[in-house]
Amino acid sequence: AYAYLFKYIIIGDTGVGKSCLLLQFTDKRFQPVHDLTIGVEFGARMITIDGKQIKLQIWDTAGQESFRSITRSYYRGAAGALLVYDITRRDTFNHLTTWLEDARQHSNSNMVIMLIGNKSDLESRREVKKEEGEAFAREHGLIFMETSAKTASNVEEAFINTAKEIYEKIQEGVFDINNEANGIKIGPQHAATNASHGSNQGGQQAGGGCC
Amino acid sequence: MDQSVAIQETLVEGEYCVIAVQGVLCKGDSRQSRLLGLVRYRLENDAQEHALFLYTHRRMAITGDDVSLDQIVPLSKDFMLEEVSPDGELYILGSDVTVQLNTAELKLVFQLPFGSHTRTFLQEVARACPGFDPETRDPEFEWLSRHTCAEPDAESPKPREWNSDPGTRSGFAPIGGSRHQSRNARRGLEDVLPRGPGYILLWGGAAEEPEFLLAEEMHEGGPVRGRRPLAGRRDEALEEADWEMSAGGGSRERDCAGVSNVDSSRPNGRGPDQPSGARCPEKPENSLTRQNKSKSDMSEKVRSATVTVSDKAHILSVQKFGLRDTIVRSHLVQKEENYTYIQNFRFFVGTYNVNGQSPKECLRPWLSHSALAPDVYCVGFQELDLSKEAFFFHDTPKEEEWFKAVSESLHPDAKYAKVKFVRLVGIMLLLYVKQEHAAYISEVEAETVGTGIMGRMGNKGGVAIRFQLHNTSICVVNSHLAAHTEEYERRNQDYRDICSRMQFPQVDPSQPPLTINKHDVILWLGDLNYRIEELDVGKVKKLVEEKAFQTLYAHDQLKIQVAARTIFDGFTEGEITFQPTYKYDTGSDDWDTSEKCRAPAWCDRILWKGKNITQLSYQSHMALKTSDHKPVSSVFDIGVRVVNEELYRKTLEEIVRSLDKMENANIPSVTLSKREFCFENVKYMQLQTESFTIHNSQVPCQFEFINKPDEESYCKQWLTARPSKGFLLPDSHVEIELELFVNKSTATKLNSGKDTIEDILVLHLERGKDYFLSVSGNYLPSCFGSPIHTLCYMREPILDLPLKTVSDLTLMSVQTADDRSQLENPMEIPKELWMMVDYLYRNAVQQEDLFQQPGLRPEFDHIRDCLDTGMIDQLCANNHSVAEALLLFLESLPEPVICYSAYHSCLECSGNYAASKQIILTLPSFHKNVFNYLMAFLQELLKNSANNHLDENILASIFGSLLLRNPARHQKLDMAEKKKAQEFIHQFLC
Repeated sequence: AYAYLFKYIIIGDTGVGKSCLLLQFTDKRFQPVHDLTIGVEFGARMITIDGKQIKLQIWDTAGQESFRSITRSYYRGAAGALLVYDITRRDTFNHLTTWLEDARQHSNSNMVIMLIGNKSDLESRREVKKEEGEAFAREHGLIFMETSAKTASNVEEAFINTAKEIYEKIQEGVFDINNEANGIKIGPQHAATNASHGSNQGGQQAGGGCC
Repeated sequence: MDQSVAIQETLVEGEYCVIAVQGVLCKGDSRQSRLLGLVRYRLENDAQEHALFLYTHRRMAITGDDVSLDQIVPLSKDFMLEEVSPDGELYILGSDVTVQLNTAELKLVFQLPFGSHTRTFLQEVARACPGFDPETRDPEFEWLSRHTCAEPDAESPKPREWNSDPGTRSGFAPIGGSRHQSRNARRGLEDVLPRGPGYILLWGGAAEEPEFLLAEEMHEGGPVRGRRPLAGRRDEALEEADWEMSAGGGSRERDCAGVSNVDSSRPNGRGPDQPSGARCPEKPENSLTRQNKSKSDMSEKVRSATVTVSDKAHILSVQKFGLRDTIVRSHLVQKEENYTYIQNFRFFVGTYNVNGQSPKECLRPWLSHSALAPDVYCVGFQELDLSKEAFFFHDTPKEEEWFKAVSESLHPDAKYAKVKFVRLVGIMLLLYVKQEHAAYISEVEAETVGTGIMGRMGNKGGVAIRFQLHNTSICVVNSHLAAHTEEYERRNQDYRDICSRMQFPQVDPSQPPLTINKHDVILWLGDLNYRIEELDVGKVKKLVEEKAFQTLYAHDQLKIQVAARTIFDGFTEGEITFQPTYKYDTGSDDWDTSEKCRAPAWCDRILWKGKNITQLSYQSHMALKTSDHKPVSSVFDIGVRVVNEELYRKTLEEIVRSLDKMENANIPSVTLSKREFCFENVKYMQLQTESFTIHNSQVPCQFEFINKPDEESYCKQWLTARPSKGFLLPDSHVEIELELFVNKSTATKLNSGKDTIEDILVLHLERGKDYFLSVSGNYLPSCFGSPIHTLCYMREPILDLPLKTVSDLTLMSVQTADDRSQLENPMEIPKELWMMVDYLYRNAVQQEDLFQQPGLRPEFDHIRDCLDTGMIDQLCANNHSVAEALLLFLESLPEPVICYSAYHSCLECSGNYAASKQIILTLPSFHKNVFNYLMAFLQELLKNSANNHLDENILASIFGSLLLRNPARHQKLDMAEKKKAQEFIHQFLC
């Protein structure tokens, strides 16, 4: 039903709002009190880019340091990453370098990384200036956006712009879309034809296939 | 129209055309119409073989004369016919079905009309395939030798006899009449292309480039990436071939002549859109132009029954099937009102009984009488042809004549495209739309119902076209009901028969066929033949003269029957303000002067049913004098549901989102009663258990603890989860036990601090979330699992020492330990060993079966605690328990008493006491001490063998495998090694 499936990961310190961003994007709701993510959760959403249906499968990882060695293993096979910090907590911004190194080291080199300064609704408690985020993004070649999972500001954009970037990279031929380790899967729409040709079974052929 | 009848006529005895479908053979940019017939042949042994017969044909094939066999593709084991989707294109519901036919030799691509008939055809073909069961015999297809079609390629690697045998060919009656391209003409083509492309020649060379063919089709309408130059050349050659063929073949390529009917029917000289001289349409730039092209092709083809439309309303243009898409579709239908608005379309509906005449006058006064050009034309005729030929052979030249006449008389202010044509003997219905609406017409189907002679023949009955305009379904029926004044009951019956028997296949073949009544809008026109009753001819004529139509109307049978609700329930007819349309002397406005002198009647009527329909006019057209009837017309404004793209997108988005939500809610998810587990004061060989519960939510799920990256098991060696995987039904739960047990293989690392009671378990739900479980705790070091030398340096009980000291001493090497200068006051042997041996020496030398009876489990814990805390005076245990603890102690030593390094030399010199003693001398001093100490103890035991029943052999066999351990750490020593180890110890016991 989709043309492509992109796998995303959301990473960043604990409490920066990773799960809330996911929930806002997939379910359009905000849950102020949220259990700490201890593990890996995911959600899916279908979006349309360039007239193509693209399914985003988003993996939300635990942010605690103690789980870092395990969460790393989920980076592999992601086409996009949302690296999130909390604009009201400078330490979460300070840890970005570690997260970024970790992400770059454990994922494919073409992974599109979007830097997100979350909780933009809490302007009065801001500790990290927008310019700082921008500068960090510039320096490390990331896309940058400030979002609020609470007010939904820029949430759609963050996920969709990341997808657009990945889509462009596919168009440019940067991604090898046949290698699922890149976090991109060709949808049944595309694959079906190829798949059915593979099964050269003589007797059983189309005629069915319709619901 | 079932074209298999025509094919059947070309077949010989034993062959049966199961089903036929008209399709378009696609090759590069060329499109040629073909009839595909699935032919079954019953062999003598009752087995069946099938082949696909491909015919060229003129018009819609009605008789065998209309078709010409082009090629035969036997359904051999390598035969495959599968549906392919045009690459990258959105699947457009209602668009053609593209199928690809593969055999070992060739690859063809066809477009088949969308609909249930094609579905049925594909299913039949699928059923007819011999399958790939190796047991079944390969079909031989000998029967096919009776047919000839295109010549086989002389160079074909696998010539087949039914194509190449000249003997059989001569005996075969040629298929197709003289009107068709002769076989010679085709030979000519083959001369041009000696290695004819596969779609012309059955066993041609097409198989050489199968990928190309496929790719070509897949990229149809878009830029072909990486097209090979060779392929390109082939393509051109093919196009040339088509050119050649058209030139030589004359009428054969009628379909391909590119001037659209729309253009040719523009008598007022409005310029055609396309270059009128083009025989074939321009190469399509994209799929859209391709569709346009098909449409203009079709409009030219008078009898074409196919129609290609894109459904730009795209309410149903979801991508290809699948559960999700089906759900999206049904939601879209439910929410239609949210994203559609009503827009009026002007419909012209006309009916004309032409009494078997040919058109003699311009039809403009009837068809173009209004100022505004209608959006849709529904034009029905009755008694188009009264000849026997028309009746029996369903073939009439009148069809084309009237079609042309209508096309030329459509409103001059607009361009029209013919959507559909249907005819049953003399009953014909034509549907045109303004060209700009063509893209919004979809799901066009036409059906006929004969109610004439024997209740089935086509001299009476009805034809209907159903279609979707934007989002509104419309059915137009043209009927010619039974004649004669007194026969109104029969007319009623005809009406009911048409209603019940008129069934349109649905897009989704699993859905029941649509009936007339299942449409938003029904327009019913025709010569309904209801008369004026109870009034004599003179009275009727007088009332007409007085224009007392209302009085007259009271006697109208149709009015009476409708009022009695016997027929046309729910239909409306506008007020009749025109005089009866029947019966006139042909060529005049005079009432019938023949001897029958029929009474005037409103035979020709138009009724409607549905919402948002306004009749603007309802009238007859006296100016036309060709027939004994006058044509009738009605103009309607019909409110059609049009999609608001913006709202549609919003609605679609909402639906997609709700599905995403559903999908996310369907991700398996559980709750865990506990996620952090702390095991405090873990002791050697003391099982500790923590449990938690997995509660499942609504989705059945499979759970499993999975390995972390680069780890060989899902948790550390000292931990076990029971069960470690399983399946949970919705709302069910399972209790998982985490068991922590430190044994000899894990104790040393825990003593040394190299390992700690820390772990993270990953509980994975298939297709779902992962949960991390943290395990933490502390281990109480024990003499068990500690090296001999480490224990010798521990003057204090191990549990009284700081962990750091325990760790350091555990990590200290034997060599360092031996170098006594560095450390102070080690003991000669581990005090724990002394404690156990001393206890046994004091209490158990007389003990019967010592070392052979198992100890008591709780007493081991007590002994271990006494040893580790140094509370030896409190040691109070069964002799057997202490004896067992001693054995466990020896077993848990990370380095055995006789060091691993000495193992092999010991085995070698077992039996040689002097050499054996020599080896013992080489051991690190603590190990040597322990060895000697143990031997002395064992000898002491043997002194009491009268009571304890021990002998050298028993002790040697028990201690042999504890003191001497294979460095490879095999669990099982092989018998020979065991024996030698035993022998080695034995020497020291005598």
